[in-house]
Amino acid sequence: MHKIILAGESSLLIYFGNKIDPSLPRNIANFANQLKKHFSESIINLTPSYTSLLVNYDLNKTNYQQFKTQVSELLEQFSFEQAEQISKVIHIPVNYGFEVALDLEKLLAEKELTIDEFIHIHTSQTYQVYAIGFSPVFAFLGQVDEQIQAPRLATPRIKIPAGSVGIADRQTAIYPVDSSGGWNIVGRTVLDLSLNDPKNLDKFKIGDEVRFYSISRDEFIRYGGRE
Amino acid sequence: MSFKVIKPGFLTTVQDYGRLTHGEQGLAQSGVMDEHAYAWGNYLLGNHYFDAALEITFGSVELEALDDMLICVCGADLDFKINHQAVDIWKSIQIQQGNRLSWHLPRHGIRAYLAVQGGFETQKLFNSRSVNLREHIGSKITQDEVLVCQASIDLLDRFIAPNYIPNYHQEVVLRLLPSYQYSEFSDDQKTLFFSQSYTISHANDRTGCRLKGVPIAIKKDKMISEGMSYGSVEIASDGLPIILLKDAPTIGGYSKIGTVFSLDLAQLAQQQSGAKVRFELMTIHQAQKERLAFNQFFGVGANSKSLKI
Repeated sequence: MHKIILAGESSLLIYFGNKIDPSLPRNIANFANQLKKHFSESIINLTPSYTSLLVNYDLNKTNYQQFKTQVSELLEQFSFEQAEQISKVIHIPVNYGFEVALDLEKLLAEKELTIDEFIHIHTSQTYQVYAIGFSPVFAFLGQVDEQIQAPRLATPRIKIPAGSVGIADRQTAIYPVDSSGGWNIVGRTVLDLSLNDPKNLDKFKIGDEVRFYSISRDEFIRYGGRE
Repeated sequence: MSFKVIKPGFLTTVQDYGRLTHGEQGLAQSGVMDEHAYAWGNYLLGNHYFDAALEITFGSVELEALDDMLICVCGADLDFKINHQAVDIWKSIQIQQGNRLSWHLPRHGIRAYLAVQGGFETQKLFNSRSVNLREHIGSKITQDEVLVCQASIDLLDRFIAPNYIPNYHQEVVLRLLPSYQYSEFSDDQKTLFFSQSYTISHANDRTGCRLKGVPIAIKKDKMISEGMSYGSVEIASDGLPIILLKDAPTIGGYSKIGTVFSLDLAQLAQQQSGAKVRFELMTIHQAQKERLAFNQFFGVGANSKSLKI
């Protein structure tokens, strides 16, 4: 079930499974905490993702063989069922208006849905943070309801405005800063998720839950949203 | 103590040992591209190993010293001058208030490091002074900006033995650890990978270095995204390698054939597009032995509470 492989001269990668599974992110986050507790002296960095955890360790304190053995022993003792609950729920206000939802009109036509039906589907799901990456504060959220899933755009946009909410296959995410990207843009949040506010770095953690709620164009503008 | 920027150059940023502890939050490692030259700069000044230096890429930079300071320039020979006089690098230099320091064109290597005793004192963001342009963390130096640094305390006169100065002109051999999906590549794919001489393409920056060569035929190109180590070598959809460097994203979904040894990446950091590189297999035992010797010599990681979670 678990597998530990070499990742670099001072890093190893732990696989917790071989396919995306809603039970994995929280288990990986919990195991990461266990690792920190047991090997605080030798661990430098942890990078969790959908099914894996990259661990950078201090070569001055341990070596590959020794550390791999220790991690593997801890994995054997670790009880995934009894893992502590550590996640939080984050609520994200979104304006789904066509002025900011650049791909929504096209998507509604393809899916034969009304905008209200779409908003209902996107906001009634509780999403889980599966990974953080691409750029800081960019949280990959799953799983999007099959009725509104959509493949990435054939040609990525050069500039997607900060705050845009996108869908790619069965994932949804918010772009924290202006960036290029190929996700279908279905709305925009008023929240500033950029590192202009350094606290945003801890906004999302693997295993956290996220819910979107709809706000009107007026509310969006009143709270400082940019069109 | 400070410098005033007269000419900022093409790509000049403050860098230190990096932002090592923020993988959970999606922050890249960042930090100096050539750890070897940077380590010597700090070492010759008696600095701490993670004191911040100025990473000067290609040159076209001019600074005015606003105080007397002890400095050291290591890494590329960018035709370094003080008050229009050529000056040797890889040694400590006492400079005076009003001195003009300039870097012109790459003659040998492309990245020079200006270390100053005590280090540059720019703002720390997320435990590091390293600028990462991709992540919008910090910015390039700009004209008329004042770069503040620590006051120099000693009058050291130290230099590197000439035989330790690297030759950046020789063909770069990148020693590769058989990590990640190495075992999933077939013998034919590996033979093609290790037997050819690749060329560094124009798509080569602080994020990654894309190589040109004979493509490796690959079956599945995308996999579930996973954490990527510094130096890991992705084989992209076109069958060509991309070496992930300091500013690379933390996770990615291409298969990786291995991970290049960090001190060989220091050599790579001095190469321009068009240079040739090839790969050779290295054992984890050998890599850890060489890196540990480097860490011990330069004091890397010693008493480094700030690097711990």
